[in-house]
Amino acid sequence: MNSPRGKTLTLALTSEDRYLPVAVNFAENSARAFGLGNTEALHLRLAVEEIFSYISRSVCAGEGIRIECANGVYYTQVCFRLPVSKLNLGGFNITSSFSYDSESDLEEMGLMLASQSVDHLQIRSEGNQRISLILKKEKAYPESVERVSVPQDAEGLETETPDAEKLKVFSLLAAGSDPAAPNLFKYPGKVVDMAASGECFPIIAVNGRREIVGGVLYGYRSEKTVQLLGPFIFHEGKARETGEALIEACIGRVARSKALGLLSFSGLPEFLAGGFEPLGSLVYFSEGKPPVPKKSFYRHLHEDPGCEVWTHESMAGYLREEYGRLFLARSIRTVRDRGEARDEGASLFAAEIHRERAQAVLRPLWPGGDYIENIEKHVRLLGGDGLLNIFFELDLGIPWHAGLIPALSRGGFKPGIVLPFAGVSDIVIFQYHDATES
Amino acid sequence: MTRPNLDILVPAYVREFEPYIPSKPDPELKNLYGCPRLFRLNNNENPLGPPPAAQEVIRRFPPLQGAVYPSGDSYYLRREIAARHGIDPEQILVGNGANEVITFVIKAFCEPGNNIITADKTFAVYEWVATFSGIEARVIPLKNYEFDDRKMLEAMDANTKIAFICNPNNPTGTYWSRERLINFLDGAGSDRIVVVDEAYFEFVEKEDFPDGISMIGDHPNLVVFRTFSKMYGLAALRIGYLVGDQGVVDMIRRTCVVYSVNSIAQEAALAALAHGAEHIMETRRLVRESRAFLCEALAKMRLPVIANEGNYLIVKLPGSDTLAYRKLMREGVMIRPMTGFRYPNHIRVTLAGMEAMESFVGALKKILN
Repeated sequence: MNSPRGKTLTLALTSEDRYLPVAVNFAENSARAFGLGNTEALHLRLAVEEIFSYISRSVCAGEGIRIECANGVYYTQVCFRLPVSKLNLGGFNITSSFSYDSESDLEEMGLMLASQSVDHLQIRSEGNQRISLILKKEKAYPESVERVSVPQDAEGLETETPDAEKLKVFSLLAAGSDPAAPNLFKYPGKVVDMAASGECFPIIAVNGRREIVGGVLYGYRSEKTVQLLGPFIFHEGKARETGEALIEACIGRVARSKALGLLSFSGLPEFLAGGFEPLGSLVYFSEGKPPVPKKSFYRHLHEDPGCEVWTHESMAGYLREEYGRLFLARSIRTVRDRGEARDEGASLFAAEIHRERAQAVLRPLWPGGDYIENIEKHVRLLGGDGLLNIFFELDLGIPWHAGLIPALSRGGFKPGIVLPFAGVSDIVIFQYHDATES
Repeated sequence: MTRPNLDILVPAYVREFEPYIPSKPDPELKNLYGCPRLFRLNNNENPLGPPPAAQEVIRRFPPLQGAVYPSGDSYYLRREIAARHGIDPEQILVGNGANEVITFVIKAFCEPGNNIITADKTFAVYEWVATFSGIEARVIPLKNYEFDDRKMLEAMDANTKIAFICNPNNPTGTYWSRERLINFLDGAGSDRIVVVDEAYFEFVEKEDFPDGISMIGDHPNLVVFRTFSKMYGLAALRIGYLVGDQGVVDMIRRTCVVYSVNSIAQEAALAALAHGAEHIMETRRLVRESRAFLCEALAKMRLPVIANEGNYLIVKLPGSDTLAYRKLMREGVMIRPMTGFRYPNHIRVTLAGMEAMESFVGALKKILN
């Protein structure tokens, strides 16, 4: 995920209750200066209040911290940078609670509560015994209901990077002509701001009359992985040529970048899927709708240099099968308990919450002796908070991650897809399956 | 002591650059992919190796000479090259492979704010060196698989310092004629350097293919690269050179690291030049035969081919080239996927001996079926 490219304001202070008004006013005023509306700025203020209260009372009271407010063009980001010690690590789990007065369990959870006021919350390890808590609140954009007519032909096909006005037309075409297009396209102003922020990069296909016949957005999911949204094709007559031209243009842009792979979580038309490698499916749930399985596709951008991956023996068979199917050269190493002393403290999971998708992604940050309990607690509380899609990502390049596999399996998680080179080596995305699912 | 703050220490254009990951050594690859034998068809190496005279130099190199520094400026080799082209040895700089001389040239003429012009689908190192040196690389799309001279000239501005032309182009094998090159040199003018990379010069038999070195006298803005890695089979020793106008080369010399070319490489290259005529003929024959064989086999498989000059050709596949790379590796054949050259779904294959070509065709049939 990219860091915001716009202006960043920084406040350094100690985490003490008396500085709470300073922290919340700083966040709210920064958000307003960056263009957030009244309601959104107040929501962000509420989230900052919850987090500041939580950390100053429960996890690093009196410690020096930094709060950074950054202008992400379509959102304001507030980042808390905090010192951590092994003693307070468990307190950074999003599901951690602290006890004071007589409030109920959920109300005591500062981080979880904060996540409800913002669009995105993430906990990240920064190394050097520091943690970041990152909140994002997006601007409110007007929904556009305008219909744009689809071009009559796709002769003289070319690809180009659109200016803001063409990008808005592309968004309206995508929203109007493709029922599967994400809601995002109903807010063309947001798409323009996302492109301006560097969050995504648009490419459009135009015909000889410079009318838009298709387009694709791509962005960096991580430093090494580029994620596609689309392509969206508006003229069926030359669907294949349009799709291929857009994918080729996209590959042309990223082929000599840091990216190692191109990823699509949103599926691809059959005529393009042949150029990609099918990774498998994840199932997406949304309230009141039937679950939707979505195929994921991958395209490696370089030669596979091969690598070592670490797993628990219970998952070795799955990996052998997947690597065989994908023709990836991997040395599969199995972690074994040899009776050595282990860290029996509290484990820490990073959580990334996307409210609009009812989705939580968990990643291990610190090992511990409480995997089963910690996983169970995350599932219970995230699920209870309406997050229907819970994923857990393990990096097969980090040996201790493999120690989580039995606990994940016991906690209802199943391996869904392998993302080649998405981390230190490959990442496996586990999906939580409720035992009551049919 | 805490770790250095790399975010502050390292320029953004270096931090953002992705280091090239070379392929692992053959024994590691064989082990990873489970193939007992590996045909290397990915680097356009000469399967005949170096000319016999150069092989003899390598065999007889005195071990004690390993303790002695090489000639710092490849003294004898420059004299030999100069004599063969009728130029002054001071017009020549020898480097640790042509990649090093690319770096010399960019360092000599460019500073942040400047730009270089090259093509989108060509040898990547011009673009890489510019990018990690903080120089903008303007990549102009090929037109009909050729460098687009008109668009390249249009893309030039007051900050353009160098244009890089790969002639013949790697990977498409197309080339500019002498006349086309002269027009471009005139168009670029005296405020810019035009580099013509002739890494595959010795493979081209077409009559209208220009010898860049012979044009330097009339076009002092021209710098020509040659290498011993391809036709002369000395890739392992890393040796290449540039030739230019004496005043231009005198400036480039200021950015050049002396002693970067080892003694065995200098002596082997000298022998290769002096006694390489038969080797060139033999290699050309092998390349012609392999090209004809592959073109016919690939036509029968209904796979589009881009086959022009050089000891390589490109095949368009019905699916992902990087996946094909992995599948072919399992069959013991190593090719170059072309996504990195901005040719997705294409692979480049070195034209090598018949055994390798037959193995490649057999493996390709197997993976496509």
